[in-house]
Amino acid sequence: MRSVALGAALLLLMLGAYADSPMFTSRATIGSLNGEQIYEHICQGCHMPGGQGAVGAGSYPKLAANKKLASWAYVALTVLDGRNGMPPFGYPAGHGMNAGPPHLSDAQIADVVNYVRSHFGNAYKADVTPEKIQALPHPAAELMGPQ
Amino acid sequence: MENGEGSGSLSRRQLLRMIGATAGATAMYQAMSSLGFAAESPYQGPIDLQGAPRGASVLILGAGMAGLTAAYELRNAGYKVQVLEYNARAGGRNWTLRGGDRYTELGGHTQQCEFDKDLYINPGPWRIPYHHHGMMHYTKLLKIPLEPFFQVNYNAYLHSSGAFGGKPQRFREVKADYQGHVAELLAKATRQNSLDASVTKQDQEMLLESLRHWGALDSDYSYVSSDASSDRRGYEKKPGGGLSARPIPSRPIALHDILDSGLWSGVANGDTFDMQTALFQPAGGMGRIGEAFGKELGPLIRYNAKVTDIRQDDRGVSVTFIDVQNPGAPQTARADWCLCTIPLPILAQIPMNVGQSMGAAISAVPYAPAIKAGLQFKRRFWEQDENIFGGITYTDLPIMNIGYPNTGFQSGGKGVLLGAYVWGLRAMEFTAMTPPERVQKVVDYGSQIHPQYHQEFENGVAVAWHRVPFTMGCFGQWTTATRAKHYDDLCQIDGRIALAGEHASFIGGWQEGAVTSALDAIGRLHQRAVAQGESA
Repeated sequence: MRSVALGAALLLLMLGAYADSPMFTSRATIGSLNGEQIYEHICQGCHMPGGQGAVGAGSYPKLAANKKLASWAYVALTVLDGRNGMPPFGYPAGHGMNAGPPHLSDAQIADVVNYVRSHFGNAYKADVTPEKIQALPHPAAELMGPQ
Repeated sequence: MENGEGSGSLSRRQLLRMIGATAGATAMYQAMSSLGFAAESPYQGPIDLQGAPRGASVLILGAGMAGLTAAYELRNAGYKVQVLEYNARAGGRNWTLRGGDRYTELGGHTQQCEFDKDLYINPGPWRIPYHHHGMMHYTKLLKIPLEPFFQVNYNAYLHSSGAFGGKPQRFREVKADYQGHVAELLAKATRQNSLDASVTKQDQEMLLESLRHWGALDSDYSYVSSDASSDRRGYEKKPGGGLSARPIPSRPIALHDILDSGLWSGVANGDTFDMQTALFQPAGGMGRIGEAFGKELGPLIRYNAKVTDIRQDDRGVSVTFIDVQNPGAPQTARADWCLCTIPLPILAQIPMNVGQSMGAAISAVPYAPAIKAGLQFKRRFWEQDENIFGGITYTDLPIMNIGYPNTGFQSGGKGVLLGAYVWGLRAMEFTAMTPPERVQKVVDYGSQIHPQYHQEFENGVAVAWHRVPFTMGCFGQWTTATRAKHYDDLCQIDGRIALAGEHASFIGGWQEGAVTSALDAIGRLHQRAVAQGESA
């Protein structure tokens, strides 16, 4: 377990150390993120750096050396439609849910699927194309909130 | 890439982007309303559970607000009650972090809260609207002292990093000016006879008078620098006493600048039903409620119990659990009935023999991301330097909200404020960081609003709800479609098992949803128990 004790001095040190850390993206700019960046900005919040997963009262599946990743469609459908508590990222662009999950394009979903299937000790071919993603069922638009 | 608004109207796209980016708070509240967040609490007063069958038992999973409410009422009604709770404390998301507390999130990072005595942060719920009658009832019952929660502070800020040179604007000024300009325009339209078709001449007279009153307009129905407008937006130099008494009126912000800044989106922040005065907070932290319930229920709660299997048969429900402090052989608890309040992302992973429809409902609700950060500063500079006493500043920066403590005003010594309350995409990104990175970002962004941050900051904690081991998310995020398809299936009793929690309510994300769903569920379980007791 890593202990986190933040003093002002430590913080000042860190401000220097993290000066180059990537800025936040936004709904307007998230479209420019590639698979690796999407993993680091979003996925690793739950699946953890290195795809290590985590266990508490429930668990976040470990993506590292996970045999389920053999099925690209399983991974793609999970990203598109969500699974259990995981939000769906396949809503159409401009779906209107400001508080909801951001829209990822088919190309981005293909890229992030390829990324997790070819990293963290997984050695599957990164051959998922946007066309393959497009052919899968996407969640319908949820027109709610301000449009 | 394509931004997706379809027809390619640039101005509309920009507008949407602006609303999404700078108007997060209001947009969220509106979105929440359509999600059912702003629904009136159905709480009808203390529940009546007379006639519990002798010896009947209920096993409750989870000691959050739903489980605690249910345990309290069922025990009082004569049921044999046992509660299994994953944490070593009662309350669940009803939770306060105080100096000396340690918190380990999923992924293994442990944060040591180093706040001074009596300073705290509520990582979860932090306010109770007066019309959340269930919560009000139980805080009264448990003798929890309440303090006012200032949802609206006219002297706090609305901030847009791209407007007014990044300088935060006082809520009071933005509200007065927006209202004044709108009143002036409407008065102009009225006097140019543009409203003749929809407002009678007689009503137009009254409308004009009301606009002058509402917008602080002058005798020409203009919104200008004047005593009247300064009485709303504040003076350049306040009225005083003696020789230096004469006030100097202030100059309103131009309509264009208000509109362009997007700050108008914050004007209605206290107008939504859930945010209307009065709101309250328990003295000493929201967690006081869970703590008091825990004390009240005593040995009925078994702590450190991680549920691994839920199995019902003709005669009862057996639940397998592991003691997370002393992991050994799995243990079993059994009762006639089971009220399960385990958050859905966790419940979806626990084997449980319920019908397909409830099973599908459990798996259909993603949980909203959210993060909160508490920061301790050497002094209460927001009070001392800026005259902000409680309330909330709203910003388009990734921190989204700064919440000032609604208690301990003018006390010397240190102070803790809520440095960030974030939802949506930015919460996901904060969650993906380590706790020190989160705190550092919160301090960094917050210093754009309060430059004192870097000088005065001492220590902080940051809780990301998707990394909270006992919920794996902040609250159930229903959509119109998922509610239509799954909500009733989630709430129906399946054999001997009923579900409760904010996820089984139309007041999602609020403790009142947990309380009212628990009362609704145990009312129905009680009916079944009584019916079966009579037939047995």
